[in-house]
Amino acid sequence: MAENEPKILSFLCNWCSYGAADLAGVSRMEYPPNIRVIRIPCTGRMSPKFILAGLRQGADAVWVSG
Amino acid sequence: MKNLLEHTGLEPGRLHFSWISSAESTKFVDVVTKITDEVKALDPANKKYVKTEPKVD
Amino acid sequence: MITFKLNGQTVQGEEGQYIIHVAEKYGVDIPTLCNHKALEPAGMCRVCTVELFDGRRSRFVTACNYPIWEGMEVTTDSKLAVDGRKLIIEMLLARCPDVPAVQKMAKDYGITELRFKKGDDTCILCGLCTRVCEKMGAKAISLTGRGVDMKVDTPYHLFTDACIGCGACASLCPTGHITLDKINSQHTQLNTQLIPSEYDMGLKGRKPVYVPYAQAVPNTPAIDRDVCVHFKTGGCQICTEFCGVNAIDHTMEDEIVEVEVGSIILAPGFKPFDPSQFDAYGYSKHPNVITSMEMERYLSASGPTAGHLVRPSDHQEPKKVAWFQCVGSRDSNRCDNSYCSSVCCMYAIKEATIAKEHAGDDLDCAIFFMDMRTPGKEFERFYDTAKEKHGVRFVRSRVHTIDPLPNGNELSLRYVTEDGKTIVEEFDMIVLSIGLETPPELVDLANRLDIDLTPGNFAKTESFNPVATSREGIFVCGAFQGPKDIPQSVIDASAAAAAAGEMLTSARNTLTQSKEVIPETNVVGERPKIGVFVCKCGSNIAGVVDVPAVRDYAASLPYVEFVTDSMYSCSQDTQETMAQIIKQKNLNRVVVAACTPKTHEPLFQETLINAGLNKYLFEMTNIRNHDSWVHKNNPEMATEKAKDLVRMAVAKVALMEPLIETELTVNQTAMVIGGGIAGLTTAQSLANQGYETHLIEQNDNLGGQAVNLFHTAQGDNIQEKLSELITSVKKNDNVKVHLNTKLTNVDGFVGSFKSTLTSGDNSEELEHGIAVLATGAAPYTPTEYSYGKNPNILTAIELDRKLIADDPMLSKLDSALFIQCVGSREPERMYCSRVCCTHSIENALELKKRNPDMNVYIVYRDIRTYGEKEYLYREAREKGIIFIRYALDNKPVVTAKDGSITVTVTDHVLGRPMELTVDLVSLATAIVPYRDEKLANFFKVPMNEDGFFIEKHAKLGPSEFATDGTFLCGMAHYPKPIDESIAQAKAAASRAVTLLSQKTIFSSGTIAEVEPMKCAACGVCVSVCPYSAPSFSTEGRFAGKAEINPVLCKGCGLCVASCRSGAIHLKGFDTDQIFSQIFELEKAI
Repeated sequence: MAENEPKILSFLCNWCSYGAADLAGVSRMEYPPNIRVIRIPCTGRMSPKFILAGLRQGADAVWVSG
Repeated sequence: MKNLLEHTGLEPGRLHFSWISSAESTKFVDVVTKITDEVKALDPANKKYVKTEPKVD
Repeated sequence: MITFKLNGQTVQGEEGQYIIHVAEKYGVDIPTLCNHKALEPAGMCRVCTVELFDGRRSRFVTACNYPIWEGMEVTTDSKLAVDGRKLIIEMLLARCPDVPAVQKMAKDYGITELRFKKGDDTCILCGLCTRVCEKMGAKAISLTGRGVDMKVDTPYHLFTDACIGCGACASLCPTGHITLDKINSQHTQLNTQLIPSEYDMGLKGRKPVYVPYAQAVPNTPAIDRDVCVHFKTGGCQICTEFCGVNAIDHTMEDEIVEVEVGSIILAPGFKPFDPSQFDAYGYSKHPNVITSMEMERYLSASGPTAGHLVRPSDHQEPKKVAWFQCVGSRDSNRCDNSYCSSVCCMYAIKEATIAKEHAGDDLDCAIFFMDMRTPGKEFERFYDTAKEKHGVRFVRSRVHTIDPLPNGNELSLRYVTEDGKTIVEEFDMIVLSIGLETPPELVDLANRLDIDLTPGNFAKTESFNPVATSREGIFVCGAFQGPKDIPQSVIDASAAAAAAGEMLTSARNTLTQSKEVIPETNVVGERPKIGVFVCKCGSNIAGVVDVPAVRDYAASLPYVEFVTDSMYSCSQDTQETMAQIIKQKNLNRVVVAACTPKTHEPLFQETLINAGLNKYLFEMTNIRNHDSWVHKNNPEMATEKAKDLVRMAVAKVALMEPLIETELTVNQTAMVIGGGIAGLTTAQSLANQGYETHLIEQNDNLGGQAVNLFHTAQGDNIQEKLSELITSVKKNDNVKVHLNTKLTNVDGFVGSFKSTLTSGDNSEELEHGIAVLATGAAPYTPTEYSYGKNPNILTAIELDRKLIADDPMLSKLDSALFIQCVGSREPERMYCSRVCCTHSIENALELKKRNPDMNVYIVYRDIRTYGEKEYLYREAREKGIIFIRYALDNKPVVTAKDGSITVTVTDHVLGRPMELTVDLVSLATAIVPYRDEKLANFFKVPMNEDGFFIEKHAKLGPSEFATDGTFLCGMAHYPKPIDESIAQAKAAASRAVTLLSQKTIFSSGTIAEVEPMKCAACGVCVSVCPYSAPSFSTEGRFAGKAEINPVLCKGCGLCVASCRSGAIHLKGFDTDQIFSQIFELEKAI
């Protein structure tokens, strides 16, 4: 994988950002293909452990969005 | 959380939080684009700091 | 049973079978050009040559017509067999060097150079055509001549009456030697053509046995009796030989079935207008003039060009496409359809946007229109985006001349722009935006049913009863009620169901049958066996993501036992196949990589249930909305992303466990919030269907905005009808009206809500199973147009009040002016308020009726009298009401000085400002939602940026929320006239009854659970949960520890993250499951 293509681990709330991402698709918007999405039922589900684990696994960044 | 990362030597730019409602697809795209650009600007080598597993003899 | 050896393997076949049949059964591929399952084999092409050892010697035989015998030894892949076949293919290639089927075979066998003299024939004399012709019962052709002169022909090479023009020979010919053109020019005068596919608007052929389209329900093929050869000659019946389950019976007859029903709902739809009757557009003459329905097919991934936009004349990509609006609509000169078809403006914008998306931004799209009508929810914004962002051109002009260029491709258009300039412009394609009309068969049906029709031949209904026809018990929905789009049709459909349900309440559940429950396979403790299904979604996914690569990649992942891809995973046949595969392969986990789980997860889970799997042994990953649709310019990265997402899903699904859904009892009481027309109607419908209903109104009277309104578009007196409605609701024993009451708290969830109703100082608790939000909207209070500076500058509603009161000032007026779009269709309120054009025209006509000499002006941007409201617009013009159009950047100016009102407006024809002094100005003010955040939070329902509530699905779920048990109707959803509010109110009631009529429903399985052994009873979960689901257990072994009420738990996971002892697990999103996804990230780096 090219060095300048970072991988951003994303935790998206099922009801909010995941829906926004769906809508972005339906609206055929475009954005960089660098995010990898994990659908979580709510940002309340987030735990710091997930963020650390993501970075430890080599994610260039972690994004949590509610 | 960001403080903790800084303490370990990671740039705060490696962790992002945002709130986007399910109707805000435009915002979603803006945020993804912004984060990606920001992360691309960071030194890719720096992340290795956490990735390295401690060696066990 | 005969036993013999095939490629060294012992195989068995039936007496009389040929080698090729047995080989097929055992998966041994033998090539052939002339073999057909339903026809007697002839061994003519020789390609199926195999080596046969009879115990003494080897020889070549043709597998298609050599019967099997005990003890024989057949080899298909020995050097001898392959060399023999290779020689035959080489000779075929020499005879027919240009036939693709032969070329491909030659390539497969490594034939690069020909040792024989090259011929130029395309027929390999296999005789398949003659055999099928005989089978068809025609016997029109045979192999004629001898030796080198042999060919397929009719007797004496003459035109023949024996040919029935069925085209079977052409469709089976392996080399393409026989074509329909050849048949037509050389053998018959029948003019044989492909059977036009109705679904593809005749742009593609279809078979006599066919499924109308991929998602058809039921997905069972039908035989078209009008074209099936069997019904002409008694021959063929080839289909019966292919059908493995003997489902085809050609002797079936039509039967007349009598059904006793209590009510009838008419949903027969419409017919697209046929523009071939108009010479001016040249639709029947020029191939590049197409209808909008044909354009839909050209733009569709499943269409004739797989979504690739080409002009029909030469299949080149067009550079310029023009849409002509109002073809067969708003036209009483050339056709009888003087109504507006309501849907064409929006679909033309959609087609133009998609065309640009498919063909690239260089494509020039121009829409020629009279008034742009986008009065639907989110439509104005779509129009604006098409114009401003996608660069679709909107030309307000009717094209008067179309001249095809001599090359037969482009068309030259001549039109006059608004400022009077004549423009000549060339286009590659013209799309006629054809309207909707009721076909003559439906007029007949209406006559037979004895129901009244409107002047436009739609079923006649009343504003206050929009789905009831003129005959009691017969209801109507969809475009037969009036031209309309999908959301409105869906609303009508639910409304008609409610209307029928109200009549049939006493018969409810008297004819129900219970569904067969498929026993669930216990997979606990089994090693994961994962099936991965990758969806192409037509070209939606496959057009960007390399689906086969993703599929093959998935096969390499741990525990994956089965992978496949499919065109549309959600189609019924794919679903059935999926269930079969799960059973056959004993899969115990399933991953579907397709669209969004938010809409499609339940569908696939249903498939798991049908296959006997617990529905939580499933994970869906979104490679469409989150991938192919948003990364279309980066297919490589998109494919990588899809692989990563599939890998993450596979890792997670392996850890999924079967989950149990808790049963809930449904409280069969309803709560309706809002006592306007929508709320009243919903309450009435629910009560009529036998459910106790509480109607909550914050004011001291019922009726909402309707108390201010004068007449409906159909001329009904609103005050009269409204008081009838209020009386009937008040009289209904099932309705309890709560006036002056506010909702101050809502607890609970679908089936068992507990709401606090506060009236003054009193609060009471109401338990109910469902809630309907019918909170309405309010008129905008203008700050513009000198409102408030002169008592005769009124809002539309203020004028209505004067009309209701028959104010004497009305009789003193000599002139009146209406200004449209006051506060609507502006940057801060980018939506059309939908009702104002009709409302102003109605009131203008009313003023004109009272004083025919009055000068009445309507100053507007686009007149949006959609549907049959268009008649009012026509009437207004006929009665001399003057329409003056203004542009957003040049709004009229109203000056109120010394008791007189002057309006300055720039006329679009003259291009000069005009000054009009008028006695009255009526402002068509916007309809503004209340933006009630508190209510939205109570029920956890979303609002759009304008402040209207967001329904479950813009098209298919317009009257309900995504949150279970909550429904939506009236203007809280979007501005709408009374008839549409009533339809949606009934629709909301109908949707609510689907829940209320059940005694129990099931909760989700993805909820939190405490592992009491680990629980430290710290109480953090009890304090953090917003739904009060965790509590301390009071009895049993684990008294004092936390426990979670599965019914209250929303599965958000807040308690899980906050639990310090790791004692709480969120089923379906457990820590190890999320970690498994994170861990899969490493491979992506």
